[in-house]
Formats: sequence, structure tokens, C-alpha cells
Amino acid sequence: MKQQVILAGLASAALVALAAPAQAATETDSKNFGVQGNVPPLCVGGTVSAGTDTFDLGVLINTTSGLLRTDLSAPSKTLTGSFCSARSTIAVTATPIVAQTFTAAAPAGFSRSVDYTATASGWTPAAASFATASASNPAATQTRDTAFSGPITVGIGSFATTGGNTLRLVADTQYRGTVTITLTAVN
Amino acid sequence: MKHLAALIALPLAALAVPAYAVEESPASNNDSATVNVTGNVANLCILGDPSLPNVDVGQMVNTSGAQVGKIATIGNQVVNLPNSFCNFAGTQVGVTTSALLGPAGTPPASFSRAVNYTATASGWAAANAAATSGAAFDGSTPSASGSGGTQNGPKLNTIVVTLSSFTVPENRLLVAGQYNGTVTITLGPVPSQGS
Repeated sequence: MKQQVILAGLASAALVALAAPAQAATETDSKNFGVQGNVPPLCVGGTVSAGTDTFDLGVLINTTSGLLRTDLSAPSKTLTGSFCSARSTIAVTATPIVAQTFTAAAPAGFSRSVDYTATASGWTPAAASFATASASNPAATQTRDTAFSGPITVGIGSFATTGGNTLRLVADTQYRGTVTITLTAVN
Repeated sequence: MKHLAALIALPLAALAVPAYAVEESPASNNDSATVNVTGNVANLCILGDPSLPNVDVGQMVNTSGAQVGKIATIGNQVVNLPNSFCNFAGTQVGVTTSALLGPAGTPPASFSRAVNYTATASGWAAANAAATSGAAFDGSTPSASGSGGTQNGPKLNTIVVTLSSFTVPENRLLVAGQYNGTVTITLGPVPSQGS
């Protein structure tokens, strides 16, 4: 008999113990739900600020010798509004400055093309650079591991007559080359 | 034998008592007695399951135009909690929002990894519960809470949660990646003063 009483007592205690948290849990209820969205990797090249998008080198030759000027230069261009929302690469490519009207092969002793090196700096620790005279340009593409927003400075320099600086440039009213900067998001 | 006699005697005695009592109360052909039946109902608030376990607002930024890379206009998102009820008076709805946060780590200059929004819970009391997350661009302090008015009686209703006003701190560019946040709805008694 004594054993039965004790067991009954334990059962009651267990019921009380179970009942208490159940009541506390239901007087206040809460539910939650998730909210999610996504942002795709995105790159914007920006626009050339202040002035035109052309490097105007003016007269390319020393008018006394007919050879490429050794003091050729042009102010850098700045791309503003450039950003990538993820890891990215910056790549620079360029084409030689070529006579647009004189399209035939240049006579002996002449050239119709000027090589140069284009650089894009400000995006990566090492500037991306591309030399039009080089068969290989491993430094033309640089990688940045984080999202970034900032101006890119584009410059050209190291001019040289294609075929050698002893060649003279054929006359033409327009020599033209192109520098292309490409930002690419990398997953 | 003595034991057997005692066992037989006991039920006889028990039967004899009511018979004797009837003889003592002959006043009426009918008699009545009242037996009280008691019970109790605990205070209870139950929220219905959200109609959506997860709200996906999709791609969040403009991909062209002057605001490229910055948050696009995101329409209101609605989640229902049907058959929510409290069986007692003096209850209120609470809402806690946690900003949508993107990839971990401090975002680069001009970027944010947080998207704030407002969650409003209606359908309970006259005054809705609302909370607007106030995360900084780096994702710090992402949570905010708010409470609605008091419901002065038991109520069963659908609680409607509306997510709106998605914004980015300083309207910064958003870092690419997956963004996640949480909304928590609470239904229960109005906290007593000082608690």
C-alpha cells in the first residue's frame, strides 16, 4: 500500500511538471519567416570624365626629320562611375595608331603605324598594361578579389614606330588607334 | 469464518443506510441534488502558420540606368498568418525585423551589404505593429522591434504582415551575393508595467 501511494504521488508531480511549461508556451506564440533576395555580379565601366574620349596626340612626327616625335604625350583619361559588385578582372587592349587614308603597304623606309603601351590603373594594385607591339601581354589582365568602386586612370605612352624608329611615317590626315578597358565580374 | 462474516456484513450495512434515509425524508415525490462541474481554460494565443515560409524578393538592384548597381524598387510583400487567435483580452502583436544581409565581412567603400525594410502586422488591434530595420551599411544593428495596440477581447483573425520600403543605407551600391533576413511575429498578452 505504501508503495502505491508513493507512486501515485510521483505521477502527480510529473503531471504538474509537464503542465507548467505547456501553459507558459501557449500564452504567447511566435512565428517567423525568412526574407531573401539576391544581387548579381555586376560591372559598370563608367564614363570618360572631363573632355572627350579621345587622346589627341596632334602632329606625330618631327617636321624636320619626318621621324616619330620623341616627346609625344597625351593627358590621361579618367573613367568615373566604374564599379564591380563582386570579384573582378580589368583588362586593357589596344590597337596601333594606324594611318586611316593611306591603307596600302608603306613604301620602303616608311611606316604607317605607331605602337604604344596603354595602361589602366587605380583598379588593381598593379596597373593593367598592354603593348601593341608585343605578341604577348600577360599584364593586360589584372584581378581584384573584392567588389570595388573607383576611378580608373587610362594612359598611353612608350610610343614607337612600327617596324623601327628609323622609319618615317607616311603622311595622313588621320592616324587612329583604340584603347579598350573591360571590367568583368568573376565568380 | 469470522472474516467471512465481516465481509458479508459490510455491504449489507451500506445498503441499509440509504433505505433508512428515504424513510426519514418522505416530504416529496421528487428530490434533487446539485453536483458542481468545474473546469478552466488557460490563456492561449496561437499564431497561424505563415502563408509563405520564405519571402523571396528576387534580384534587388538596377542593372542599367543612372541607379545601376543600386537598389531597385521592390514591391510590397505580403504574408498571412490565418486563424491566429487569443482567447483572452489584453493582447497585442509584436513584430521584429532583421535586415537582409549579404556576404559577410566589411563591404568596400561605396558598397553596402545590408538592405533595410519595414514589416507591418495588421488585423489584430486598431493600431498595427510595425518595425523598420536600421542596419548600417556594414550590417551592424540589423534588428528592430515594434508592438501594436491592445486587443480588448478574445479574437480570431488573419494577421497580415506586409514588407515594404526596402532601402539601402546611404543608397550605396550592393555587394553581389545572396541576402537573408528574418521576420518574427509574436502574439501574446500586453506586458505588465515594469516587466
